[in-house]
Amino acid sequence: MAVSFQQIEEKLKTEARRLLESGEVSLVLAWGKGYDEKHPMPYVAKCPSDADGIVFNEYCTHNPARYLVRYPRGTKIAVAVKAADSRAVVQLIQEDKVKRRDLVILGIPVYGIKNPKTGELIDGKTTCGLYNPVLYDVLIGEEVHGQPVSSPYAVLAEYEAMDRDARFAFWKKELDRCIRCYACRKACPMCYCDPCFIDQRKPRWGEKSPEPAGNLMYHLTRFHHLAGRCIDCGECSRACPVDIPLYLFHKKVAKDCEEMFGQAAGMSIEDKPVLVNFRMEDSDKILE
Amino acid sequence: MLKKTTVNQLSDLASALMEKGTLVAPVREDAGFQFREITDAKRVDLNFHNTVISPKSVFFPQTEDFVRYRTGRPMQEAEPVEPQGKPLILFGVRPCDVKSFEIMDIHFSGTGDVDPYWQARREAAAIIGYAFDLGAPAEPEEFYQTLGIGAADPEGSDIFMVRRGDDLLLKSITGKGEALLTGMGGLAGASADDEKFFDDTVAAGRDFKTRFTCVDAEVITKKLEDLFHNTDFWEKASNACLSCGVCTFACPTCYCFDICDETLFQQGTRRRVWDACMFTDFTLEASGHNPRTKVYQRLRQKINHKYSYHVRKYGVISCVGCGRCTRYCPVNIDIFSIVEEAMKA
Ligand code: SF4
Ligand code: SF4
Ligand code: SF4
Ligand code: SF4
Repeated sequence: MAVSFQQIEEKLKTEARRLLESGEVSLVLAWGKGYDEKHPMPYVAKCPSDADGIVFNEYCTHNPARYLVRYPRGTKIAVAVKAADSRAVVQLIQEDKVKRRDLVILGIPVYGIKNPKTGELIDGKTTCGLYNPVLYDVLIGEEVHGQPVSSPYAVLAEYEAMDRDARFAFWKKELDRCIRCYACRKACPMCYCDPCFIDQRKPRWGEKSPEPAGNLMYHLTRFHHLAGRCIDCGECSRACPVDIPLYLFHKKVAKDCEEMFGQAAGMSIEDKPVLVNFRMEDSDKILE
Repeated sequence: MLKKTTVNQLSDLASALMEKGTLVAPVREDAGFQFREITDAKRVDLNFHNTVISPKSVFFPQTEDFVRYRTGRPMQEAEPVEPQGKPLILFGVRPCDVKSFEIMDIHFSGTGDVDPYWQARREAAAIIGYAFDLGAPAEPEEFYQTLGIGAADPEGSDIFMVRRGDDLLLKSITGKGEALLTGMGGLAGASADDEKFFDDTVAAGRDFKTRFTCVDAEVITKKLEDLFHNTDFWEKASNACLSCGVCTFACPTCYCFDICDETLFQQGTRRRVWDACMFTDFTLEASGHNPRTKVYQRLRQKINHKYSYHVRKYGVISCVGCGRCTRYCPVNIDIFSIVEEAMKA
C-alpha cells in the first residue's frame, strides 16, 4: 500500500479531532488500543482528546458500522470504514436505520488486514474482497488500484460442487457444535432486530438449548433474514468461538441474490434491498 | 504416591482410566480443544494449552434435563430425571480450572441449598489436574497468578500430572487419587529424581508470571462499589461490547441458567440451559420492564458480580484468571484491563 497503517492512523486521529472540535459530530466510531497490539478493539471518541486513543493497524478487523444503531436517531456520527464496513453503512441507510445527513463517513482504502486468531489475510475468502470504500466523505489515505481483486464467491466452488445431501451433512456437522452464544448476530451490523426472532417466547421459533433442531432453526432463519442484506464483512464468522464458517452460507445467498436481482447489498444508497423492492423484471427463480 | 508413564503411552493410560469410570478429557476438534467424554482412548490429547469451553460443562452441562413429560397427560406421569452419580474421571484439567470448581461448589452445594445434579457428578468424579508448561510463556490473556493461583498448583486435584520431557509424572494428592492410582496397571514407579522434579515444578509454578497487578479482593470490591454510579467509566469500558454470550459461556465460574420447557411433538422436557447476564433479555421481567437495558449496565453487572458482590457475599473473587473471556471475546474486551482501570480510578 502506498499509504502505511501508521499514516492512516495519524490521518484518522486528525480528522476525528477536527470533527469533534468543530462540533460537526458528537462521536467518532473507529478502533482503539486493546490489551496488546494484536488485539485492537472498536472505539468511540467523544471529545477531541479521545482522538489520541484511535489506533489503526493490520488487526483492525471489526466493523464500526455495527455500532451505528446503538445511538439515538439524529446523533451526528463520524464512522471510520474499510471497504466492507462502508457497505454496511450504505445498507443501513437503505434500510433507514441511519440518515445519510447524520453521518460523516471516513473511508479507508486498505488491504493486508489479518485475522489475529489465524493470521490469515482477510480477503475475498471471508469478506467481500474490495479494497476501496464504496461511499465516503473524507478519504483517509489513497484509493487502492492495480491490486489483484479476489472474487468474493471463488471460495464457494468446493461447496457448490456438493450435492444436496452432502451440503446438508456439511451444515449439520458445522452447526451441531454451535453453543448459541449469539456472538454472530451480535457482531453483525445488519442484525439489529429487537427482539431477535429466536429470543421470542410467544410464539417460540426455536429452543434455547443448543441442540441440532434449534440450531438449524436459528441459523437457517438468520441466513435468510440476511438475504440481500449481508454485506460480506465476515465479522459473524470471526466472532464465533467455535469457528463455524457462517460466511459460506451468507456468500452463497448473496451470490444467488446477485444473480437473480442483479444487485449486491450495500453498494449504492439509491438501491432498495432486493427482497423489499418489487420490480416487474425480477427473476422468478426464487419461487421455483 | 508418584508414578509415571510416557506421553507416547497416553492412550494406554486413557484405556486404564476408562475401566474405572467415564473418562472426560481434552480432545482436538475443528475449533480447538474441548473436554469430551472419551469413547476412543486414542483421541485423548494433552498437546493443548487450554480448552475453549471450561470443564464446568462436565458438572454443569449447558443443557440439563430435570423432568420429561408428554403434553396433555396428568402430572403424575411425568418422569423426573435422576442425578447421575456414575464414576467419572476428569483428566487434564489446568490448575486455574481446578480452582474454579471450588468457587462453583459455593453455589451448587456450599450455601446449604444443594443442587443434586452438580453434587452427584462432583462427588462421583476424580480430578486429574495437569500443570501448565512452565517452559513456554503464559498466553497474553491469562492472569491466574494475579489471583494467587500457581501454574502447577496440585490443590483441588485428586491426582496431579506434571510433564517431564516425554515422561508424564502422576502424583496422588487425595485418598481418592491414591486409591485410583494404586488400582491402575501399566504405570512405572518414579525415581527420587522424579520426586524432586515434581516438587520443583510445583514450587516454580507459584512464581510463574502471568500478567500481574496485585489484586486485593477487599480493595477491588471497595473500588467497584465506589465506581458503581460512574457511568462514564462503565460506558467507556463497554463501548465495544456486543452483549453476546461468549465470555460467560466460556468462563469456568459463570453459573447462570434459565429453566425452560421445550416440547417437540408432545414430548416435553423441563430443563435448565445456560443463560448469560450479557444477554439483553436476561433481566426482562414478565411485566415487560427490563432493569438493565443498556450494555454498560450488563457489563458492569458481570464485572461487579465477579470482583465485588461475590467477595462481599462469599469472601472470594469469582474469577480464576484463565483468560477465556478475553481470548474469545469477539471485540477483545479484556476483563483484566477493566479491573486494572478500576484499581486506578
Ligand atoms: S451476516 Fe456476517 S458477513 Fe454478513 S453483514 Fe452480518 S456479520 Fe457481516
Ligand atoms: S457465534 Fe458461533 S457458536 Fe455462537 S451462536 Fe453464532 S454460530 Fe453459534
Ligand atoms: S465482553 Fe465480549 S464476549 Fe462478553 S458480551 Fe461483550 S462482546 Fe461478548
Ligand atoms: S472471568 Fe474470564 S478470566 Fe475470570 S474465570 Fe471467567 S473466563 Fe476466566
